[in-house]
Amino acid sequence: MNRRGFLKAGGVGLVALIGGGAAVFSQVPVIPSRPEPDFEAAAGWIAYRDGRYTLTLPRAEMGQNIATAMKQIACTELDVDWDAVDVELHDTARAGVKPTVGSESVMLFTEPLAQACAALRDAVAAGRATGEVEVVARPRSALKVFQRGGAIGQSPVIAQGLEIVTGQPIYAADIDRPGMLFGRVLRAPASTEVRSRPVAWNADAAQAVAGFVAVVEDAGPPIGQAQGLGIVASRPGALDAIAEALAVEWDVGSDHPRADVGAAIDVDTALAAGPLPHVSLDGAPEDGAWDVDLRVDVPLAAHGPIEPRAAVAEWADERLTIWAGSQDVFYIRDVVADAFSLGADQVLVQSCRVGGGFGGKTICTVEAEAAALSLALSAPVKVQWTRPQEFALAFHRPPSSHRIKARLQDGRVTDWDHAQVSSHVMFTSAVLPSWMQRGTDLFAGDGGVERGMAVPYRLGRARAAYDALRLPVHTGPWRGLGAGPNALATESALDEAARVAGLDPLAFRLAHIDDPRLAAVLEEVGRIADWSGTAQSAQRGETRIGRGIACGIYKEVSYAATVAEVAVSPDGRVRVTHLWCTHECGLVVNPDQVKAQCEGNLLWSLGMVLTDDLPLDRGRVAAEYFSDAPIPTLTETPEITIALLDTDNPPVGAGETAMVSGPGAIANAIRAATGHRLSRFPVDVTELAA
Amino acid sequence: MFRLNGQSEDVPGDWSDEPLLHLLREHFGLKGAKFGCGVGLCGACKVIVDGEAVRSCTFPASALEGTEVRTIEGLARGENLHPVQAAWLAEAVPQCGYCQSGQIMSAVALLEQNPAPSDTDVDAAMDGNLCRCGTYTRIRKAIARATEAV
Repeated sequence: MNRRGFLKAGGVGLVALIGGGAAVFSQVPVIPSRPEPDFEAAAGWIAYRDGRYTLTLPRAEMGQNIATAMKQIACTELDVDWDAVDVELHDTARAGVKPTVGSESVMLFTEPLAQACAALRDAVAAGRATGEVEVVARPRSALKVFQRGGAIGQSPVIAQGLEIVTGQPIYAADIDRPGMLFGRVLRAPASTEVRSRPVAWNADAAQAVAGFVAVVEDAGPPIGQAQGLGIVASRPGALDAIAEALAVEWDVGSDHPRADVGAAIDVDTALAAGPLPHVSLDGAPEDGAWDVDLRVDVPLAAHGPIEPRAAVAEWADERLTIWAGSQDVFYIRDVVADAFSLGADQVLVQSCRVGGGFGGKTICTVEAEAAALSLALSAPVKVQWTRPQEFALAFHRPPSSHRIKARLQDGRVTDWDHAQVSSHVMFTSAVLPSWMQRGTDLFAGDGGVERGMAVPYRLGRARAAYDALRLPVHTGPWRGLGAGPNALATESALDEAARVAGLDPLAFRLAHIDDPRLAAVLEEVGRIADWSGTAQSAQRGETRIGRGIACGIYKEVSYAATVAEVAVSPDGRVRVTHLWCTHECGLVVNPDQVKAQCEGNLLWSLGMVLTDDLPLDRGRVAAEYFSDAPIPTLTETPEITIALLDTDNPPVGAGETAMVSGPGAIANAIRAATGHRLSRFPVDVTELAA
Repeated sequence: MFRLNGQSEDVPGDWSDEPLLHLLREHFGLKGAKFGCGVGLCGACKVIVDGEAVRSCTFPASALEGTEVRTIEGLARGENLHPVQAAWLAEAVPQCGYCQSGQIMSAVALLEQNPAPSDTDVDAAMDGNLCRCGTYTRIRKAIARATEAV
């Protein structure tokens, strides 16, 4: 492997270019429309000048607080104080980096950053102040980071924390430019998979609105098949009035053939027509009666970031500058350059802190709208989606329909059959036209839908197969991709299997686990939650109490287990009262922020079981506000106890791991409390009434 | 005329139709309060008007006459953070951070009205502030820490 890189002159000062072997660090690209970046070009992240260091963060900062973790790595390897390193977010003038997805940042960037910092440290110590320095990779054992030196394992005040608590401008919508205008691109109230375009509007009425600036017919690329009409105002509040006054008439195609999404993905209907095309586990279960036969349906869900996506675009001197809150500014640059026939060197996209990404801010939408309006008016334009736009035009977690069967003998699963029908994740319909998706369907399946179907248990003759169908609503990556819904389904079925066997669900799982790291998190969660010493079902007055357990592995590298305790009132309302979670992600750079990611995953787990849903009307998103698609609230938040297993395994990701164990634990706790196995999510309280 | 973080300010005539949120962000350049939904459901836009935490996205600028408005930018005294801000940092509450200005302003208003809130009081005061990252347990801890500090 190639482990050489170069410290390169950067005008003044000393700049490290990180080198590393692509074969070692690269992973399967998550956004297939984006070519795998050249890792060796992922360069220039650490620089020295006049006694200070600048870390240009090669990742998007979206609340995983990766800026803090990477600053810890840099300070440790540079062997300098916390205040000696400034952190900056990157722009597209730098060499491209992978999109910030898939919990990869600590896993893939720790060692390259440490190698570059170590080389820079040596160069500075040798009296160098300018020029190029070669990075010759040293063994891991020679890196302070892997010896837990310096700031590794500590929890310093988070980077940008002060800016957040004092309200400083760090998000895309916070950008101000001289002469800036405010824009919006209106689109038809229709499925984005149905062709629609504006055909008539009342420009005179719109012009009469105070603050009106322009109607822009060339409003940039469609979203799906929805062609828009741009409006621009001098004040943001005028946009609503302008939109209303315009009274746009839309030409909208007929309803999508899969407007009834639930019927379209019904797994039993699909199985009746034949085997599902994509195979995840290729065992051959024997025919015969099943001991467990469970249907699980998980609906569409929005990401629900509190920040509706926003961008500021400025066209000046034949160059376009865009400020974006995105998980992938390089993709935005490429899409915008292509859409408006600009050279890539004419487009600069600056990363801003992302106000919640969760996999949903990975493509180019609002940025192209801002670019179109800025190009039309030759002025800076800010566009922030309305909340209804965020629901209607973004992509979402696909719905999925599962049928899981298990057969047991002597307390062990001998046969397992998991069938799933969903919609696309990796090969998202938000980016891929249907003709291209037919190709991926034929040759590649969809690894995002599949994620987690290969359960981490020894289940005898185990089969898992799936299909992905293009729906009228755009679907794509959502925290954990398929792992959340798949684990909810499989951990529910495994819990039923334990009941059939008459065995404790923790012991039953252990008996089917080969991986000692998975066994370790499971045993540890049992210990901290006093699993064996606490009744799994109890009655407290009229309230039914239950405990459930689940565990799993995320992307084959990161481990979690969860115990949930719930209280179900006579009317069926569920309150999650306590969640215990154990997590092992190898060497921990920042324990407090790994715990924060667990807390986030657990709240998302609670949402998956209790609230997440995105209502549709004839194939278009009907939700407009959080009242239509609720997310968990503070009042619903249980007590949370987290234990990290600190090991010397290589550092891996934490941002999505507990999605594999949280939802199943809660569903299993509800089963223990009520005797009712949830089959449709989110929970319908009438099913759980006493 | 109204007071904004202790300074006298006027609402320009052409901004009188705007909600307070846009006025703060795009006229006065105070970006701390955030747009989240525009209809008063998420709390990201909360500021304090006459001692009450209000949703600035639905508070009309035309109703500001004679009021006292405080935003997150006005909490610290120079380098000295407000105890709620300091508690937020000490508990490392923020993940993405976008909702936190509204969370902090709700907490400040709560503690000014009720210096020793019960858990129920905290739930009641904070339930209108949504966070998608899942920072709620730390918000509770930070309020408890600030309660001791105040």
